[in-house]
Amino acid sequence: MSLELSDVTVALGSGDARTTVLDGVCARFSPGTVTALVGPSGSGKSTLLAVAGALLRPDDGQVLLDGRDLAALGDSQRARVRREHIGYMFQSGNLLSGLTAVEQLLAAASIAGRRPRRLRHRAEELLAAVGVGHRLTHRAEQLSGGERQRVALARALLLAPALLLVDEPTAAVDRSQAGTLTELIAASTHEHGCVTVVATHDPAVSEVADHRLDMAALTGAATGARRADQP
Amino acid sequence: MLLPLLELRAARGRFVLMGTVVLLVAALVGTVSGFTTGLTDDTVSALRRLPATHVAFSPDAKTDQFARSLVDERTLRGWRGQDGLEAAPLGVSLTRGTSDRGAEVDMAAFGVEPGSFLDPGADRGAPLGTEPDGIVISQDLVDEGLRVGDTVVVDRLGIKLPVTGVTGHSAYGHVPVAYLPVDTWQRLRFSTPGAPAGPSAEVPRQYSAIALRADDGAGLTGTDRELGTRTVPLKDSYAAAPGYSGERITMTSIQAFLYVIGPLVVGSFFSVWTVQRQPELALLRALGASRRRLLGHTLLQAGVVVVAGTAAGGALAAGIGLLVGGAVPFSLPAATLLTALAAFALVGLAGTALTLRRVTRSDPMTMLGANR
Repeated sequence: MSLELSDVTVALGSGDARTTVLDGVCARFSPGTVTALVGPSGSGKSTLLAVAGALLRPDDGQVLLDGRDLAALGDSQRARVRREHIGYMFQSGNLLSGLTAVEQLLAAASIAGRRPRRLRHRAEELLAAVGVGHRLTHRAEQLSGGERQRVALARALLLAPALLLVDEPTAAVDRSQAGTLTELIAASTHEHGCVTVVATHDPAVSEVADHRLDMAALTGAATGARRADQP
Repeated sequence: MLLPLLELRAARGRFVLMGTVVLLVAALVGTVSGFTTGLTDDTVSALRRLPATHVAFSPDAKTDQFARSLVDERTLRGWRGQDGLEAAPLGVSLTRGTSDRGAEVDMAAFGVEPGSFLDPGADRGAPLGTEPDGIVISQDLVDEGLRVGDTVVVDRLGIKLPVTGVTGHSAYGHVPVAYLPVDTWQRLRFSTPGAPAGPSAEVPRQYSAIALRADDGAGLTGTDRELGTRTVPLKDSYAAAPGYSGERITMTSIQAFLYVIGPLVVGSFFSVWTVQRQPELALLRALGASRRRLLGHTLLQAGVVVVAGTAAGGALAAGIGLLVGGAVPFSLPAATLLTALAAFALVGLAGTALTLRRVTRSDPMTMLGANR
């Protein structure tokens, strides 16, 4: 499954405060590769992730996931694409309060229409793989920031999504944990052949990525370039 | 199913608290229903069991008609001359007496013609007409100490009323009923204390009303005009019982308030609950939960709280009914309780509808760049 953004334009805000965040952005992301989106805060990394992840409908342009234009889909159809094909790891606020680590994954499986009981073993394996196997029955409030991030990554990987979107995965973890997380993201991407896009400020993440995409180049904010195609 | 149940467990303290509030309001609804039915029963059960379709009063009696209305024999004959109906005289008055075994009782005296369609018969003992001035008492008077074979002496008048039989539960204006021959009732109603009140005493041949058993009520208005009466359906005559209208208005008002309070309480709780979990709702939307699914989750959670709370409240109300027993006019048949609780549960769930709009408006975009 491939992802392609074609002439995507997004403006946020209203009235005088309305700002064009993405302006005619074109980008192509191939299966089995990790692409690091880099750029300063406010450069549109999260907005690009939102558009690619069917969270936000662009004002103009196409978002083609395996040839299907997400921008043309209705609200319920985009929700369906999200639960069936996309895995997210957000920068913060990733977990449902009151639920244990393993329940976070089973709840996501339930939303996707899968039988949670059948995925319990896989969920525990993934949580062990991200280093929180000893915290399976701890509730979200009992986990540290780094542990919460890792649970969120396990949840994103649980259903082997075609598109994995990760927002600042190493922002709340120490260097050794950051390494573990990025390696896991890369390994899972290569193993399952999913399209992975990571918004990051962390050079270590960029180094692990197969491709590096500068938001300044995409939006033309710094160089005037408006197009960046990935092989 | 999994997610809403996990959320219920995760926030069980809050949901138990809310369920307890629902339980208490539902128990109040059930209890008030029990008192409403019990009070109504205690006020008009004697009228309910009259096998009549209509009651004709004298036109001058506007309120409390059974006490104020008087119709004479000519009017009774006039009604009896009509085709397609049966007519029987009915006397209603309140009195008190003392049995020969010393039991002091208040009685609603219902004068009926022995053998007429108003004659209640007797479940135990002998019916009316088997003994001069013999009366058939309701079970409620048995509960107060009377029994077949007793003789009740009417206070001040000295009229002796031997108890010949017992019939079922029957009360009028919170007073248990005794059925007596209508001519005995006339002596009881019209005699003056201290004056002779024996069987030969001269008293007006009048009645409180005329009970009618009509094939249909269409022709009654013309007969009313002809005979100078005012006829109402039996059910409308309940309002003529003392205290009936006031009690109904009071109890119905309390019930109406509870039916308003219920959805407001439930709606307020889920409104706050929804505001508090906006971040979770946004995350669920971002993970692909549809608006319809989130609505379903909220309704399921509300359903669990409202139904469980209401059921427990109903059980509490039924328990209260068992505890108070016959000490107060409380009657809570299963059908009444279930109807009241079903209505309460429905309006409670309707209260949840107040929150649904906020549930559907949760924005998954807040997950990106959001810093909670």
